[in-house]
Amino acid sequence: MLTVMKYEARQRIRGTLTLLVVVSFYLFLLVYMFPSIEASGDAIQQYAESLPDAFQSAFAIDSITTIGGFLAAEVYQFIWVLMLGLYVTYLGGGAVADDIESGRIDTLLATPISRVRIVVEKYLAMCVPILAINLLMPVVVLLAVLSIGESLPVLDVVMLHVLSVPYLLVAAGIGLLLSVFFDRADIPQRVGLGVLFGLFTLDTVTQGTDIEWIGAVSPTRYYDPAAIIVDSEYDIAGGLILVAAALGLLIASAEWFRRRDV
Amino acid sequence: MGVIDVTGLSKTFGETVAVDDLNFEVERGEIFGYLGPNGAGKTTTIRTLLGFLSPTSGTASVLGADVRDAKALREARRRIGYLPGELSFSESVTGRSFLEYQGDLKGAARLDEMTDLFDPPLDRKIRGYSSGNRQMLGLIQTFMHDPDLVIMDEPTSGLDPLKQEVLNDFLREERSAGTTIFFSSHVLGEVRRACDRVGIIRDGALVALEDVESLLRKGGKRVRVHTDEPLREDDLDLEGVVEFEQVGTVTSFTFTGDYNELLASLSAYSLVDMEIDEPPLEEIFMHYYGGNND
Repeated sequence: MLTVMKYEARQRIRGTLTLLVVVSFYLFLLVYMFPSIEASGDAIQQYAESLPDAFQSAFAIDSITTIGGFLAAEVYQFIWVLMLGLYVTYLGGGAVADDIESGRIDTLLATPISRVRIVVEKYLAMCVPILAINLLMPVVVLLAVLSIGESLPVLDVVMLHVLSVPYLLVAAGIGLLLSVFFDRADIPQRVGLGVLFGLFTLDTVTQGTDIEWIGAVSPTRYYDPAAIIVDSEYDIAGGLILVAAALGLLIASAEWFRRRDV
Repeated sequence: MGVIDVTGLSKTFGETVAVDDLNFEVERGEIFGYLGPNGAGKTTTIRTLLGFLSPTSGTASVLGADVRDAKALREARRRIGYLPGELSFSESVTGRSFLEYQGDLKGAARLDEMTDLFDPPLDRKIRGYSSGNRQMLGLIQTFMHDPDLVIMDEPTSGLDPLKQEVLNDFLREERSAGTTIFFSSHVLGEVRRACDRVGIIRDGALVALEDVESLLRKGGKRVRVHTDEPLREDDLDLEGVVEFEQVGTVTSFTFTGDYNELLASLSAYSLVDMEIDEPPLEEIFMHYYGGNND
């Protein structure tokens, strides 16, 4: 069981470690900047408040002079929601299409394994980087924050990562669904990046407007790092909606792949 | 019922008809050559037999499983070995981990035997493999689970002549042990050396189905002679001379007649050089299986 998942996940280990190192490095860099941001206090806060509403909500910069608000704005809204979201969408986009394009899928399809299982296990293999980074980052974040003499509630940091998992699973699912539709990897990868960035933007620009409901199609609507780390508000329902959406994307991907010609 | 039974099989991609109303049967324990030029529909046929593509109309059964029945075909695939025409692997893994992976998916009863016969550097990453090593890795995975039916798409490409011979010997042994082998190729010589019976596919349609001997008799040989004096076509008053071409003292033609008569008539000339070779595949099609390339 899970042969395909193990084989694929093993090949993702190096990429996952690289990602972890890069994100940790960026995190430490920013955290070490925080004392000077905090010192300039009011000036920065005024600057943040003078920005357009949409921009403020896009990067959650309204409480940038506290360590929680600072991390929410500089790390989570940007790195986690946007960059990491784009990264896993890109991974998902290559998951099946890359194997079809290269012809690697042939020796796999010729074995007694069902197509549905191939898709499910490939998706599970993508969960490896998602879970690994969310397990290890809370430790890195707490260490970085402690090292500059600040502190954050441990539960908030943990929930920040727990609730980011469903969001990233949806992002990977969007990539996967595109991946089973195309024979060339670069198309679903690029389209996936466009779709996720589009959804992020849609959610952002509609916030606080009359058409705010339109942004509800975006997975970013259901994961709000700033609310978690600044206000200790955990959107459990949002997390469950994302889990259901990820499952829906996985089922749709498997069903399409089962029917299509390869 | 044959090991492979193809009945009225057609596959179209949009407007393009890739294979058109194919009918043939492959018996247990034979090496069946599936011969045709590139783009004739060989790979489409194979991919349909394995269930990668679904037929547009008609069907086929493989080891008793209808190719339209995904579940039955999945069970049948336990007993099928497949060598793709364009082999591709994850480049960052070693040959050994690829084989372990394949073994977990379908079994590895004959892995050791196969790695003795074909010996790519298993502990090296596939990224560093030559095309011959890749092909050997592909052959190992084709046979490692002791399949009853083996489907190979252009199996000798990339193999050096020595390994090609190893493969041909191995295939003959497998056939004697009852394994059925379906072997596609665009090279007549390859099929001649390895196969018992041949189906010829051209533009998606099966144009001939016969044993190798009669195919070769019809196909004849390409003869090229270099004489002191230009050879005149009238002098070669022989049955079975076609495609006569001449440039100065070099003459070439395809010959399907009696070799003794050919040598007798050539003995009137002083020969500088002479070659007798397999005819090009296209020529067989043109002269024996339905005319021009239209």
